[in-house]
Amino acid sequence: MTRTTIKFCGESGSGLLTLQQIVTKAIKSLGFYLHADREYPSVIKGGHSMFQIDFGPEPIYSLSNVIDILVAVDSPGLVNYLQDTKEGGVVIHSFDRLERVSNLSKIAEEKKLKMVYVPARALALELAHTDLVANMVLLGFLWKVLGFELDSLEGPVTEQFKSKPKWLEIDLKCIHAGHKLNADVELLTFSPERPTEAPESILVDGNHALALGAIQAGVRAYYAYPMSPASSVLTYMADMANASGMVVKQAEEEITAAQMALGSMYMGTRAFTATSGGGYDLMTETLSLAAITEVPFVVVIAQRPGPATGIPTWTCQSDLNLAIYSAHGEFPRLVLACSDATSCYELIQHAFNYAEIFQIPVILLTEKLIAEAKYLVPPFEHGKIPIERGLVTDPEELAKLLSTDRYKITESGISKRWVPASAAAHYYTNSDEHLENGVLTEEADQCKAMIDKRMRKFDALEAALPEPTVLGVEKGADMSFVGWGGTKNVMRDAILQAKRQGRSINYLHFDYLFPLKTERLKQFFQDNSTICLIEGNFQGQLGELITNKTGLTFHKKFLRYNGRTFHVEEVINFEL
Amino acid sequence: MSQCSQKYSGSGDELVQLGNQKKLMLSYESNEKLTWCSGCGDIGIRSALIRAFALEGLTKQQVALFYDIGCHGSEADKIGAYTFHGLHGRVIAAAAGATLANRNVKIIAEGGDGGMLSEGPGHLIHAVRSNYKMLFILHNNENYGLTTGQPSATSRQGYKMNSAPDGSPLAPLNVAELVFSLKPTFVARAFSGDVKHMTDMIRAGLNHNGFAFLEIMQMCPTYNKATPSDWYWDRMQYVNQLEGYDPSDMEAARKISMDLDEKIAVGLLYRDEASVPFYDRLKSREGMTTSPFEEVTHHDITPFLEELR
Repeated sequence: MTRTTIKFCGESGSGLLTLQQIVTKAIKSLGFYLHADREYPSVIKGGHSMFQIDFGPEPIYSLSNVIDILVAVDSPGLVNYLQDTKEGGVVIHSFDRLERVSNLSKIAEEKKLKMVYVPARALALELAHTDLVANMVLLGFLWKVLGFELDSLEGPVTEQFKSKPKWLEIDLKCIHAGHKLNADVELLTFSPERPTEAPESILVDGNHALALGAIQAGVRAYYAYPMSPASSVLTYMADMANASGMVVKQAEEEITAAQMALGSMYMGTRAFTATSGGGYDLMTETLSLAAITEVPFVVVIAQRPGPATGIPTWTCQSDLNLAIYSAHGEFPRLVLACSDATSCYELIQHAFNYAEIFQIPVILLTEKLIAEAKYLVPPFEHGKIPIERGLVTDPEELAKLLSTDRYKITESGISKRWVPASAAAHYYTNSDEHLENGVLTEEADQCKAMIDKRMRKFDALEAALPEPTVLGVEKGADMSFVGWGGTKNVMRDAILQAKRQGRSINYLHFDYLFPLKTERLKQFFQDNSTICLIEGNFQGQLGELITNKTGLTFHKKFLRYNGRTFHVEEVINFEL
Repeated sequence: MSQCSQKYSGSGDELVQLGNQKKLMLSYESNEKLTWCSGCGDIGIRSALIRAFALEGLTKQQVALFYDIGCHGSEADKIGAYTFHGLHGRVIAAAAGATLANRNVKIIAEGGDGGMLSEGPGHLIHAVRSNYKMLFILHNNENYGLTTGQPSATSRQGYKMNSAPDGSPLAPLNVAELVFSLKPTFVARAFSGDVKHMTDMIRAGLNHNGFAFLEIMQMCPTYNKATPSDWYWDRMQYVNQLEGYDPSDMEAARKISMDLDEKIAVGLLYRDEASVPFYDRLKSREGMTTSPFEEVTHHDITPFLEELR
């Protein structure tokens, strides 16, 4: 067995988030590789939700849909997730009237599930006079089933409740009580493979990584309006503000957040905002303003399925076209996409460098899947990515500047930029079409010259961008995929698993999507015969972009747009 | 032409100071020709602004000006300084980002009654609440001048205008009343025909430690015939000439600002001397002597990684 998959389910508000914190930290402390994510409805209480953890002795990047152990905190959890458990799998629950729900018993019988009833509620009431801690009893019992030492659980529980000593005592009692329970002897044989050595790593979700990357990049102001799944970027920024010294402001709406970020960037600091598609819609006029004024601008779109409110707490990759085609007028921009925690940390830094060097809007895409999933990754490096600002700061050079240098018509399209008030040569930052010093113009030739100048930056940018990367074998794969964003994770797992089965899968991954690089892409199409597109949207938006630009077409398209992620088994078994 | 019985008398220090500030004042001139209608209130406002900068001894490397879209926005390239001419309704939000990023320059934001009271009143409301440090000048000419005279939120009810051939059906909004409901720290009002008074109000606003709201009732000789210059001169009442007027009394200020028909109060209506701007309320910035624009460098994240290990 290479990975063990456990799904915890229950009603929203039943403490699953706390459970996730504890379980992921405990599994990590045992030295396993892991990946964890949660699914929940857009309500605070009620509705069913779950979190899943996949762990094992080898790197894991995505979730499996074959559940080894289901832990149902309450009956709604059991009702909604029982059918996801694999044949012969283990179900741990505290639902004492299971036989009364004929459908559940039927599923359990058909799938030969090992149903284990744990009197968690009764024990919790006995120990703590509340059933709020029944999940801790289940957790203790799970640890027994897995054959893990209890001390690996005690550490994370202590950390979680260190500010609430009364609850800490109760919770520790409950996990001990759960661990002491007599279990079916057969179950005790369930023991996952243990890793040989613990990797040096951190456990972090994408939004947290993005916030850390921003701090590293020298971002000194963050403005945002809450919207899932971007909201936790604001939470992380605010929680770290006193230590980072950053200005953090929850704006009154997304337009303000974008305008404040632009105002701060104009004044010479680094600032940005993050939102989801709906909030980004409101920001697009600001994107257009950033483009004509050539003030660097960075915005993050954390994707969730639309249109409109759509499926707010689920994942997708459907806003690539939005990022590429949004906002009025024609102007150069960069669209890039994160794929996991490490890339969140790194790409936000690159986003600022490209925005400042080319003086363009940069749109960084992420996804619910990346934003909230927990990744086990090597600790982030300090100072690895240089800060490149493209600013004039040398006093001698500042003294020689002319106002017309600011929007000078140049070969590359890039003109000098200096922080307002830093030189005697003032300039106008004008949303009207303008001359080299920013003075308004409506003269045909002058307007065309300035538009041409800005559009030339597009060519310079395309030349500067890295090509996409190939994962798996370079050429001659049995099955090939092309994709972007969080799909990279499931492809990494699929490549490994297919290799074990003696098959070869490879994958061409785009971090930088627009302008689209085509050299490596064309090579990939020459080197492989059966190339499919894999994307989390209906239209196959990257596929369309590729076909429009290169004429290359795909053998088949694996598209998903129901809010759910791709699972490794589905990729491996994809029918060509 | 004025029937106004009162005349504003300033401190009288202008002449003394101007001897030293002539060069400064001229440095704010731009090579671009003014594109406003003759008699436009924007011309007077621009003069007052330049006078105020010179009298305050502010060089163009000590100010940054932000403009909305509208007739007033034409000033953006008619003044020799760093200017930012943004989008309709958004000027306060952009200026808020600027004032938080750079503590060394004075931020001046200007917008019209169209942009500020119809397209972007949310920005105004929350900027007053946040008390961002800046001088905000509302150019209130009671119509949409640049789009040829449609009614705005401050247009007089019943007055026939472009797109309102039967007269604007709505009662005008008293913006001071709105602002006072938000617990502001500085509210002043002036008239675009009175450059001397405007200069003093701008200077007071430039020295306020917070969001200084300055409403300038502005002539629009082309589209607003309802309230021409004389109409204002006849009704203005300088609050500093009222006996016992106390600009630290918000309730009195709110009351006196209500009348927009008979006696229109102008001057420094309200000022909170103890105002604390948003930036100074941030715990994260306590004790910092630099501005965010001076701090763009690799900030060490390794301490944050400890809890993730």
